[in-house]
Amino acid sequence: MSDARTLVSLRGVTKDYPKVATGGDRLRTLTALLFRRHDMPHFRALDSVDLEVRRGESLGIIGENGAGKSTLLKAIAGVVRPSSGTIEVNGRVGALLELGSGFHPDYTGRENIHLSSALMGLSRRDVRERIGSIIEFADIGEHIDEPIKHYSSGMVVRLGFAVATALEPDVLITDEVLAVGDESFQKKCIAWLERYRANGGTLLLCSHSMFHVQTLCAHAAWIHHGRVRMLGNTFDVTQAYLTWHEERNASQAPAQRAPEGPYPRVMKAWTEDGAGEPAATFAQGGTLVLQAQAYEPDDRAPVLLFGIVRADGTSIYGSHSNEGDFQPARSAPRQFAFEVRFEPLSLLPGKYRLRVHALDAEGLRLFDTLDIEFVVRGETRDYGLVALPHQWRPGRAVREAVGAS
Amino acid sequence: MASGPASIDPPARGPRWGWLLFSFTRREVLGRYAGSVSGLAWTLLHPLAQLAIYAFVFSHIFRIGVPEGYPRVSYLAFVAAALWPWIMFSEGLQRAMASIGANAGLIRKVAFPHRLLVYAAVLACCAIHGVGFIAVLAVLTALGDPIHLLRLPLVIVLLVPYMLLATGIGAALAGLQILLRDVEHGLQVVLSVLFYASPILYPASLVPQSLRAWVEMNPLGWFSERLREVLFLGSPLVPGDAIAALGCVAVFAGGLWVFQRLSPHFEDFL
Repeated sequence: MSDARTLVSLRGVTKDYPKVATGGDRLRTLTALLFRRHDMPHFRALDSVDLEVRRGESLGIIGENGAGKSTLLKAIAGVVRPSSGTIEVNGRVGALLELGSGFHPDYTGRENIHLSSALMGLSRRDVRERIGSIIEFADIGEHIDEPIKHYSSGMVVRLGFAVATALEPDVLITDEVLAVGDESFQKKCIAWLERYRANGGTLLLCSHSMFHVQTLCAHAAWIHHGRVRMLGNTFDVTQAYLTWHEERNASQAPAQRAPEGPYPRVMKAWTEDGAGEPAATFAQGGTLVLQAQAYEPDDRAPVLLFGIVRADGTSIYGSHSNEGDFQPARSAPRQFAFEVRFEPLSLLPGKYRLRVHALDAEGLRLFDTLDIEFVVRGETRDYGLVALPHQWRPGRAVREAVGAS
Repeated sequence: MASGPASIDPPARGPRWGWLLFSFTRREVLGRYAGSVSGLAWTLLHPLAQLAIYAFVFSHIFRIGVPEGYPRVSYLAFVAAALWPWIMFSEGLQRAMASIGANAGLIRKVAFPHRLLVYAAVLACCAIHGVGFIAVLAVLTALGDPIHLLRLPLVIVLLVPYMLLATGIGAALAGLQILLRDVEHGLQVVLSVLFYASPILYPASLVPQSLRAWVEMNPLGWFSERLREVLFLGSPLVPGDAIAALGCVAVFAGGLWVFQRLSPHFEDFL
């Protein structure tokens, strides 16, 4: 049984969408629906999803396009009826599945506020009490008495969000709606959401913006092919999701550039593990190997420069091959292969970018850049970017060096 | 509030949904001719024009007369008494059928009892054409037609089951229409056949004896004849009215059953 703090609870929720490509399909589906049989052609959008949201614990929903995120939110909002399983909601649900979806273009903003708030379940008295604050939040001036069809899309969004703020729901469901509206309105929305959460409100946010999910939700669920693939702390889930994306991209062959032109250039570059397998995710303290192939029109060994930056662009370390008596392997006429080994890899867990540049043989002119993204995983409580070698020892408590007196 | 698979459609009762039904109906009425200068006037003028055409064609060209049973009643009044209820019925039915498709955006994004849309479509037609009906009856009375205006409450009592019939059929068709787009085209044909097959433009007594049973079984024919008897002859309610009303309630319940079975799946198909 769910305890009193459980706000939303899903058990084995499955949603099948009927496939109705032909007229025969339509008739078969119709009889199946009327007489509650379940033998219609379908595809599965949600597959036995179990999920629990507790009061005050906002949940971010992430996943690829078509993973079933929207269906999940719609099911919780009561718009979609699951084919099997149960959904229990102990409170008032406010759903912003699409801002302004209940608006009629021919009516004024004010008239639309009335209908749209009636749809969200406000009574006539509620609406009368709150219409002032709704109009104030929307902040669209005298346009409020003009038909919606003359509004810009940003103004429609403002009005839609303003109506939602008036509902004061126990759980607010938003589906990628923060991405619209201008900068200042977005800030206003985020500020409102922060206040809403601080006052005990619960947010169910579906977004492709990991930043929004991390800022607004303590927990996240990763939906993949209609199933909950991972559920837990936002940072863990978002990191796992991003890593999965990286790996999927890395498994695709690296872009190959043709060995031609008057300047040196990086033809291809990729990262691999200590065993020589291409990889995009590395363990902290493990081995990262950079492999790069460069072209030099005069058949002299070019200089290769690499730099490591964090995902936000902070530079961490860079170096070049123009030192000592290093010579790259000449893999073909005018083509040279480089390998850089990082062992042990001292970067802390996070997302990084390796930038590879080709310089002329003198190492003076920089011609070309190629970026590779990679992720370092590990469990550590250290802060910063890299692990610096250090030792912990018992202290002396006095400033003078031992043996000075 | 548990919302298992069986109760995803919240109950359509309580002040909350009453207010929503009122809002929907108001939107239907106001939205009918939004953007036109004369607005609602068109909704009244349209049936008036129809009445004028029928009155001219049938009384001056085909020379259909008002039967003996209705002394001093003009053909204009004779047709008007059945034409407005017919317009309420047929338009309510068509709009009810189209109401789900027309509000696809809402159904996909907001959870509310879908049947309110069907009710609102019929209610809006009743409101608009009810006003037109009363206005026309008042004008005809002023022109000297013997209309029992005091019987208007009885007319409303007769119209309620008539409109329930439209709502029930409309609800079932609205549900079927989402899966089978053919329904819409079929309805057009059926309605135009029904219009001429019902004693609206002509009295039932003109129908040949061999076909009379069909006309009497047609609920539209029954209501048309009854409305005339009440309006022109001051007839009280008869037991047949109760039977007709029961039949209409049964159709309404059946139509709503079909609608409610399909309603949770509208989102799948819209």
